[in-house]
Amino acid sequence: MSLATASRTMPAPRSEALRRTRTPKSLRKVLTYTTLWIAFIWAVFPFYWMIATSLRAKDEIFQRPPALVPHSVTFQNYIDLLVGAHFWQFALNSLILTVSVTLISVALSVTAGYAMARHRFKGSVALPLFMLYGQMFPPVLLLIPFYVQLRYLGWLDSLYGLIPVYLSYMLPLCVWLMRGFFAQVPHSLEDAARMDGCTRWQAFWKVILPMAQPGIVAVATWVMIHTWNEFLYASTFILSEKNRTLPLGLSGLIGQYTTDWGVLMAGGVITAAPILLAFFFLQKHLVQGVGGGAVKG
Amino acid sequence: MTARTLNAPGLRRTWSSIFETGLGARIYPYLMVLPAVIIVLGVVVYPVISGVVSSFYDVTLRTLNNGTVTFVGMRNFQRVFADPVFVKASVNTLIWVVLNVVAQLGLGLALALLLHRAMPGIGFFRSGILVPWVVPSVVAVLTWRWMYDPSVGIVNEMLMKLGIISDYHPWLGDTATSLYAVTVESIWKGTPFVMLLLLAALQLVPRSILEAASMDGASGWRKLWYVILPQIRVSFAIAAVLTFILTVNNFNAIWLMTEGGPLNSSEILFTLAYKYGFQRFDLGMASAVATMLFVGLVIATTLYLKLIQAREGD
Repeated sequence: MSLATASRTMPAPRSEALRRTRTPKSLRKVLTYTTLWIAFIWAVFPFYWMIATSLRAKDEIFQRPPALVPHSVTFQNYIDLLVGAHFWQFALNSLILTVSVTLISVALSVTAGYAMARHRFKGSVALPLFMLYGQMFPPVLLLIPFYVQLRYLGWLDSLYGLIPVYLSYMLPLCVWLMRGFFAQVPHSLEDAARMDGCTRWQAFWKVILPMAQPGIVAVATWVMIHTWNEFLYASTFILSEKNRTLPLGLSGLIGQYTTDWGVLMAGGVITAAPILLAFFFLQKHLVQGVGGGAVKG
Repeated sequence: MTARTLNAPGLRRTWSSIFETGLGARIYPYLMVLPAVIIVLGVVVYPVISGVVSSFYDVTLRTLNNGTVTFVGMRNFQRVFADPVFVKASVNTLIWVVLNVVAQLGLGLALALLLHRAMPGIGFFRSGILVPWVVPSVVAVLTWRWMYDPSVGIVNEMLMKLGIISDYHPWLGDTATSLYAVTVESIWKGTPFVMLLLLAALQLVPRSILEAASMDGASGWRKLWYVILPQIRVSFAIAAVLTFILTVNNFNAIWLMTEGGPLNSSEILFTLAYKYGFQRFDLGMASAVATMLFVGLVIATTLYLKLIQAREGD
């Protein structure tokens, strides 16, 4: 391990906090908190702006200069969104798709991940690596064969046609992550279950699976979030309005000449809400899962 | 495994007993792996091969309908190279990738170092800074598009208040600024994940090492350079590779803000391939660009990982 590595691969850090040994303690503290506040506002502001816009009256949205805090709060944009358009339909489509893809990915990756972590067989070393590489294939390369295939099968413009497409995007990484979680469950537990007369399958089903539950929750959440948010494949393969998913429905609210930003931002809030809720409830699992597997955002 | 010796008499008999001995035991792991492998072969391996192959065929809507798809050798590639937009998109891709990777890694590292320390209220800042990562990408992009609005956008208003610009500017509509305006959104969205990866790595650096460095009297910068960074080198490398891959494949940001325009000023190879494929419906040309992107990604990633491994062997 050479020190030159670090200097050659690292961009120069510019954090204020790093100068701390040269600056007095109180000043250092002020600098740190100032930097943290700047970073915080930078990160959160667009989100605030979305919510603020969604609560503004229509004439206020197009007022110049824009005011940082809405003069008055109205839910008219939300009402317009949910009464007009097909927003309910989009939400239902997203829900159906998300549930199907999550169930299939978790069911398949649980057994595969477990077998790869615990059993030696031909390919038990190469397969997991292969799964990791499977995540690297650029979607644009898969897009064209998918289009040709779906067209051939007559599955273009259908929700079920998107399921195999989404599995290509989810399943390899799910297997890889699951394998990591199962590898962490101690062998002794399984051995004890076998000692008590469980078959291999029973030991897996009744002992190992419950132990690996945090990992399974993390993977399931990861799949849910990515399916819920997916845009590229949906926008390419879904043609009719009734089959649109939420992200697609949202982008459809951008008009060629004028856009009703109040309604669009209200839709953004509703689309983001389940994800944010899921994230804050599952923050611990999720961060462990993604950080531990260290693969994709 | 000790289990092997146990599977004789005392075992309860259930349907799953067939996997305890003989053939059943041997095929058990394969049965567990098989469904996932079959699906991955079908939805990843086959399409990738098929995608590369179709870059040598004249796949268009017309030939697909007639069933007259024929082998054309390198012609798709020649047509792509002859397109001036391809050159433009290549240069843009390079700018886009370098800016994103450097900024996200630099800012991500700085934030991770800041948030790593135990201070009152740090959890609040950490959660807040993760918000861009959690907001769905389409929602985030559309919000930024609204903030960039040339007539009533908040970005223009703020920059004017700060005295940086003297009049509202169409950031996404000007060929000189469109690519950079999208890059700002992409950095905003991508940095928290890098921060998260590096923060996880920092938490694994043993306290004793940091304390030893403090006792040696190492200053902050020197400690960072010679003590902390070498410790998190592997995570940093992984973060770099991931940021690179995610940036090359970031379609949503560009497509939903500018569609690569105006006048291809924010066109990257991904959006160009998409336009060839789904606006011109020349799937052969699209496959050619996609194949080049794919090969580039694989080579860059492999080289980089090899480089790290070689260094590790020093």
